[in-house]
Amino acid sequence: MSAHIPILAIAVPLLGGFAVPLLAKLHKGLRDAWALLVVLFVGACVGYVAVHVFTQGLWVYVLGARHPQETLAPGGFPIRIMLVVDGMSAFMGVIAGLLALVAFPFALRFLPEEEGKSLALTLGLLLLAGILGMAYTGDLFNFFVFLEVTSIAACALIGFRTWTSRAPEAAFKTMLLYSLSGLLFLLAVAFLYGEYGALNLAYLARELRGTFVDRLALGLFLAALLMKAAAAPVHFWAPDAYGEVPAAKALLLVVNTQVSLYGLWRVLFTLYGGLWDAGVGWLVVALGLLTMVVAAFMALVQTDLGRLVAYGAVSQIGYMMLGVGVGLVSLAGRPEYGLVALKGGVFHMLNDALTVGLLFLCVGAVEWTKGTRDLRELGGLGHGLPEVALCFLLAGLALAGLPPLNGFASKILIYQGSFRLSPILTAVAVLASILLLAVFARAFQGAFLGPKAEVPNRVPGVFLLSMAVLAVGLLVLGLVPGFFLEGVVTPAAEALWRGRALYLAAVLGG
Amino acid sequence: MKETLTLTTGQGFWSALIWAAAALATLLLAGLLWWRGRREYKRGTEQELPFLSGERAENPGVGALHLYWGLTEALRPVLERLRSWHSGVINDYAGWFVVILGIVLLLVLV
Amino acid sequence: MIGNLPFVACMVLIALGFWTLLFKRNLVKLVIGVGLIESGVNLFLVALGYVRGGVPPIYTYAPAGAPMVLPTPQALTLTSIVIGLATTALMLAFAVVIYRHKGTLDARKIRELRG
Repeated sequence: MSAHIPILAIAVPLLGGFAVPLLAKLHKGLRDAWALLVVLFVGACVGYVAVHVFTQGLWVYVLGARHPQETLAPGGFPIRIMLVVDGMSAFMGVIAGLLALVAFPFALRFLPEEEGKSLALTLGLLLLAGILGMAYTGDLFNFFVFLEVTSIAACALIGFRTWTSRAPEAAFKTMLLYSLSGLLFLLAVAFLYGEYGALNLAYLARELRGTFVDRLALGLFLAALLMKAAAAPVHFWAPDAYGEVPAAKALLLVVNTQVSLYGLWRVLFTLYGGLWDAGVGWLVVALGLLTMVVAAFMALVQTDLGRLVAYGAVSQIGYMMLGVGVGLVSLAGRPEYGLVALKGGVFHMLNDALTVGLLFLCVGAVEWTKGTRDLRELGGLGHGLPEVALCFLLAGLALAGLPPLNGFASKILIYQGSFRLSPILTAVAVLASILLLAVFARAFQGAFLGPKAEVPNRVPGVFLLSMAVLAVGLLVLGLVPGFFLEGVVTPAAEALWRGRALYLAAVLGG
Repeated sequence: MKETLTLTTGQGFWSALIWAAAALATLLLAGLLWWRGRREYKRGTEQELPFLSGERAENPGVGALHLYWGLTEALRPVLERLRSWHSGVINDYAGWFVVILGIVLLLVLV
Repeated sequence: MIGNLPFVACMVLIALGFWTLLFKRNLVKLVIGVGLIESGVNLFLVALGYVRGGVPPIYTYAPAGAPMVLPTPQALTLTSIVIGLATTALMLAFAVVIYRHKGTLDARKIRELRG
């Protein structure tokens, strides 16, 4: 049984998601319990996989073989679909599981029954299944399929509130851009298939020679995944989407963006490991800087709390790109600072998930109590909602990278690593951090400070529980960063830094 | 034990414990200053009322939207340009995607 | 030359799709543009797997020793068509809802979310 856990982590939310509306016909409480059970199961699965991978190395699971470790068909050719979980995949799985565990209890209380709660839960579980599929798969076409699963589920969630005029607009724009990026990804896969006749990532990685077609495919992969990961200047869908999706589900959307970024790292480090010149790394660094600065400036002038937090979330993508991009630039020589920056970038994915997740939960709580997110109307909520105010303050400071919170721990690694490459990079990154601090000071004042405001509804205990979990996470990650860096981040970063040979050997043998 | 609390970055280190000690010391100093504060201040009197330029102000709240007015005003050309990029027209967004595609292909192929 | 015709056709389709996305203003036409790109990619996949003089890749019906057309791209194309159906349906549904709210399908007028 335990040999099948990686595929169960994907299959159970996929089937469990479709069971949700059926169970809702029987009993609403049963449906809620089922959704929670599925998410708990997924959390346990990704946790098990992560522990296994971090202690014993890569986990390869082959579908349709006589036993799940038989990677090669007779003739020595990896023809079957397989899941390959290395440190980085397991790390992404943990992030997805963690945020799902926080988001679903919150969503069960947050979504009103008459607004189609059952269907929103179904879509949430489908999105989770797609995210885990993208994280675990070792097959390029499978990656495309899961990419489209997440696209469709995410856009259906974004446009879920069809009775508002903004949500369908955001969903249409996002869906159009998502399908564009998905199609270009498929075109790249087709190019590689046409040249090498295979879809297996490890096999292609071994065969790639850097021909014209390979480079063309690399360009298409890059453009498609940069779009899906919301890098500037193709991030325009992200603030719309994050702002309009029901707040409880925004957490899954954040993971969706991150897992697309993970796909980019997988393509650049594992598939193309070292075939390009340093230009691609510099492109990632430059777009990272552009993303953080543009998003921070845009957040400064927002009047909608949800949209402001959304721009804050986009700016964090820039830090991950900067950290990993520095690692990418220096991959050829493998100097020490490259690994430091890479660790920082990977660590920042975890920190960003917690921080931005907490911010969106706070936005959801504010919306729940006041019915609006407009900063021009909000104010003085700190008197009535001290817990939410505290969480928002913590998360805002963490996002801006103030010590001793978790955002600082990963940002200092990125700063120190990128400083060795070029001090200008660090200067821009610090500038963006200062801007973000200003942004969240402004948002905090706008929503929570000022003359005491009436609070019509109390915040339910489940909301506070979800928020408390993330807030404690922020503090713990900030206070003992070394523990998590050694235990979780280093295996993930090493999987990108030196893990290519291991990845290939695990699938192809030898 | 030391490893779990400290983050070595290759050029230095970061320890939350040392930071916490420094923060505590700063807080103590601030508390000391605050505690020595002005004796003539009385709670619950007209001293608590807000004044603006010497005038009694009825609704003195500086809204969040007025914060950083100077900064946003100084950066207005940049911000306006950035906002005009986020035009909301889907054709423009598709155009940006084509631009990025072009840049990436140029970089990779040439 | 004639053998390359499918590849030329799919590049033309993809280019037309991008043209539509960049210069057409009607939301339904934009969805059609995405559909054009999708058809181009699907055609590319199918054309990749074609073997000149090959027979359909069904073992039972194939004469012994005859070359077969590659089955994998056809499976991929089927999957891609199904996914494309879902995305197209979803986008059209959103276009309908947008029209009900705003009374227009002009992309230049549907910009409530900006800045």
